[in-house]
Amino acid sequence: MSKIAVKVDDLTVAYNYKPVLWDIDLEIPEGVLMAIVGPNGAGKSTLIKSILGILKPIAGSVSIYGKPYTKQRQLVAYVPQKGSVDWDFPTTALDVVLMGTYGSLGWIKRPGQKEKKAALEALEKVGMLAFKGRQISQLSGGQQQRIFLARALVQNASIYFMDEPFQGVDATTEIAIINILKELRKAGKTVIVVHHDLQTVPEYFDWVTFLNVKKIATGPVKDIFNDDNLTKTYGINYKVSIQE
Amino acid sequence: MSSAQIEIQLIASIVAVACAIPGTFLVLRKMAMISDAISHSILPGIVVGFFITQDLNSPLLILLAALTGIITVVLVEYIQKTGLVKEDTAIGLVFPALFSIGVILIAKNANDVHLDVDAVLLGELAFAPFDRLLTGGTDVGPKSLWVVGSILIVTVTLLILFFKELKVSTFDKGLAASLGFSPAIIHYGLMSISSVTTVGAFDAVGAILVVALMIAPAAAAYLLTTDLKKMLALAIIFGIFSAVFGYWVAHWLDASIAGSITTVLGLVFLLVYLFAPSKGIIAVMYRERQQQTEVSLLTFLLHLKNHDELEERHVNHLNEHINWQKVRAKTVLDLAQKNNMITIEKNIVSLTKKGNEFTSKAINYIMTNEDTQIEDMKDDFFLFRG
Amino acid sequence: MDITEYIKLVFTDYTLRTITLGTAILGAVTGMLGSFAVLRKQSLLGDAISHAALPGIAIAFLITGAKDTNTLLIGALISGLIGTFWIRGIVTKTHLKSDTALGLILSLFFGFGMLLLTFIQKQPNANQAGLDKYLFGQAATLVESDVWLMAIVTGICLIVMLTFWKEFKILLFDADYTKTLGFNTKFIDILITSFIVLAIVLGLQTVGVVLMSAMLLAPAAAARQWTNSLSIMVFLAAIFGAFSGVFGTAISASQNNLSTGPVIVLVAAVFVAFSFIFSPSRGLLFKQIRFIKNRRDLELHKTLAFMHHIAETHEDISHPHTIKLLNNFQGYTKSTLQKLVEKDYVKLNGNMWSLTKTGFETAENLYTKQTTEDE
Repeated sequence: MSKIAVKVDDLTVAYNYKPVLWDIDLEIPEGVLMAIVGPNGAGKSTLIKSILGILKPIAGSVSIYGKPYTKQRQLVAYVPQKGSVDWDFPTTALDVVLMGTYGSLGWIKRPGQKEKKAALEALEKVGMLAFKGRQISQLSGGQQQRIFLARALVQNASIYFMDEPFQGVDATTEIAIINILKELRKAGKTVIVVHHDLQTVPEYFDWVTFLNVKKIATGPVKDIFNDDNLTKTYGINYKVSIQE
Repeated sequence: MSSAQIEIQLIASIVAVACAIPGTFLVLRKMAMISDAISHSILPGIVVGFFITQDLNSPLLILLAALTGIITVVLVEYIQKTGLVKEDTAIGLVFPALFSIGVILIAKNANDVHLDVDAVLLGELAFAPFDRLLTGGTDVGPKSLWVVGSILIVTVTLLILFFKELKVSTFDKGLAASLGFSPAIIHYGLMSISSVTTVGAFDAVGAILVVALMIAPAAAAYLLTTDLKKMLALAIIFGIFSAVFGYWVAHWLDASIAGSITTVLGLVFLLVYLFAPSKGIIAVMYRERQQQTEVSLLTFLLHLKNHDELEERHVNHLNEHINWQKVRAKTVLDLAQKNNMITIEKNIVSLTKKGNEFTSKAINYIMTNEDTQIEDMKDDFFLFRG
Repeated sequence: MDITEYIKLVFTDYTLRTITLGTAILGAVTGMLGSFAVLRKQSLLGDAISHAALPGIAIAFLITGAKDTNTLLIGALISGLIGTFWIRGIVTKTHLKSDTALGLILSLFFGFGMLLLTFIQKQPNANQAGLDKYLFGQAATLVESDVWLMAIVTGICLIVMLTFWKEFKILLFDADYTKTLGFNTKFIDILITSFIVLAIVLGLQTVGVVLMSAMLLAPAAAARQWTNSLSIMVFLAAIFGAFSGVFGTAISASQNNLSTGPVIVLVAAVFVAFSFIFSPSRGLLFKQIRFIKNRRDLELHKTLAFMHHIAETHEDISHPHTIKLLNNFQGYTKSTLQKLVEKDYVKLNGNMWSLTKTGFETAENLYTKQTTEDE
């Protein structure tokens, strides 16, 4: 088996002292394109946020390539939920993508030519170069999501965490995004996506984690994406027609 | 106690009650800052009304000024609707502008207007008993008493008549609309009452105290109960208590009555904020600590249930893998043992039958989102709490 | 007094120069920091902080017995910060909503401050005169050292802002993401909040407790309408703030009985109203014009589509029809017909009309476009 990119050990997270994630053990091998699926309130976003150190767990630990997250930040990129920011903020598409370079710049240092070039390349990759000077509120939902993706691409990380990147985007954007994600996997990167649409799981992803407060199952889509696990995760008798 | 003193306390108490009623709904509807905006922006209305009527207690002036209050609300909502600025910015833009107009109007006509801005902000309750209402030559009491008394009667009448509508539209706008109560009418009705109360009370207690009297008793009551009627009653009691006690503090310190009523309100809120049985800060912190230990316990029990391997169940694993400090790990272990949830043999921890049952039930509740049940379950299972 | 005379006076008269300079600097620094407050959705925090500063001023006076501005402002700063953190405590630890917390702290601190002020006024030592200037501000009491203090604080503020520009910007836009990049968001947050509190406290002497929040919000809200860039917004807000100060001082100096604070606030409000209406991209006026134009186009298209509908029934698309027929159609007016003729979509002949070839094709296109959009 290949190297383990992300290892989660006995992770428990609580909001207001109500467990949202409970004793999660998870190993994500390098180079997979993984979906995290589960019902609303299953703790999918919480899992990503606690791996990234945005939320503080009450127990457990996370390691990225064997070391704690704080030492491995430069290996990780994050695409938050689109709805988590104020899109009326006075800034342009290019500016938002440039924010992806802030982490490697560190405190005080400003982005220069090199960073700008990288940002423009990322914009081109997501097909948004023509919109670089556009104010972000004047972009469609799909375009905003592409900008967020470009910002993560600029980070040039090994592991990408994405929180519902297909939420509220048009069909073209969805295809464009998934193609970029597949490209990333081809380049040996690990991509972890919180995903809602069960129908597209077999088509888009090769790895899947079922989550509902507890971890239900994790592994290759072709082995574990079945009615049994879906029922365990969603509670009701869940059936999904899996296209081969 | 002289009759003037009794009258002052009576006026202050009536104002407190008249404020507490709309205040309760403002706090519940997350509109507390609107009352602050109204209390400032009625100033130009008062000044213009005063030019016309020459009498601070005239009903026409009260209506005019209350109209300014409504205009403020409409203006704020209009600016919010344009989407040019964020919601609370709209409030922050409208009231200082209107207030400034009021201040300038007063300053420009200082010779004609017997009004000063300090009095509008702070009121002068001490003088209220000297302005008497005379009908047919007989003294029937201070004018302000009649003004605030009438406002209170109107407010209470409306409250009783529309209690159900107010309640439904406050807690569930959608339901209110589907039941046929227009949320807009309730909304503007409440805004009108707040405006009228503010105007009627400002002369006695000043604009800022009106805000304090609206928000503080309601906020304190909110921390003590979840029942709307009880919340109203508590807010009224806090209001009256602060009014009367505040008067005596002012008397003793020889300072502003409005200021000292507010200060007493502040102390009342502080006490409730600290000591309220379940929502007070001390209770919350205590419960948080207890909950933290108990959630840790749950986590630990589940971990035991998930793992049969010996090394995962070793006592040292707690520090190494679950990332807990020694003290915390020990607290959790002790609690689990005291409650007969686990047994420890040669530093290997195992679930007892009771522990196993408890954990299964807990996880079931959490996964089906019925986690409130866990608290009841803890009562059943726990001999000792965290 | 005409304008040139006034300008001359600003340069020669010590008091006027001091006040003008002071209000200009104050306007600039509050406008600058106000931009951050507005973008963080903390617009009303400023109002709460300024009111919460009042008891600090009174207590500082009670302790030191001195009327020295700096001492009083330190008191204001401390009590402003206590108010700010208490608001946070209420919001995070209880179920009370943020607006209730703001209103509570605002009114309770202010009332307590008033109690102390009236208490001080009754004290035998007559040294207390002038404390109530903090209520509405008295720009006239500004002296050179006050202006220096403002200038120094503004300078520090500017340096800090330029140094941490990148960090401020990303935190304002996306705090969670900032955290994942490894920045200490708590530090940046405290830095911004402290400077906002500092700016408010600095303005108390000039515009007073009650109106201070407008100084923070108005220039920023106006500036936001003219630009989509954060740096330009902050710059413009500083300019608007400074001009509000200068104009406000000028207006109040040229009239009797006009206190400076309210006038400055009104000038700033005029900036806001003007920006709301006339900003080219966001302003209400141009929005309305665009709206009307769109509606006209729509009516024109509808009429054309109706004509197309009639013309379709004939083999010859340019077969003439009587104008009376159009009266059946609701959107029809003489001017729309005239417009269609101007665009060469329709030909008129007496009281008969006929579609031209271009008109027919345009209508056809409209139709297909609509059906594809519907899909």
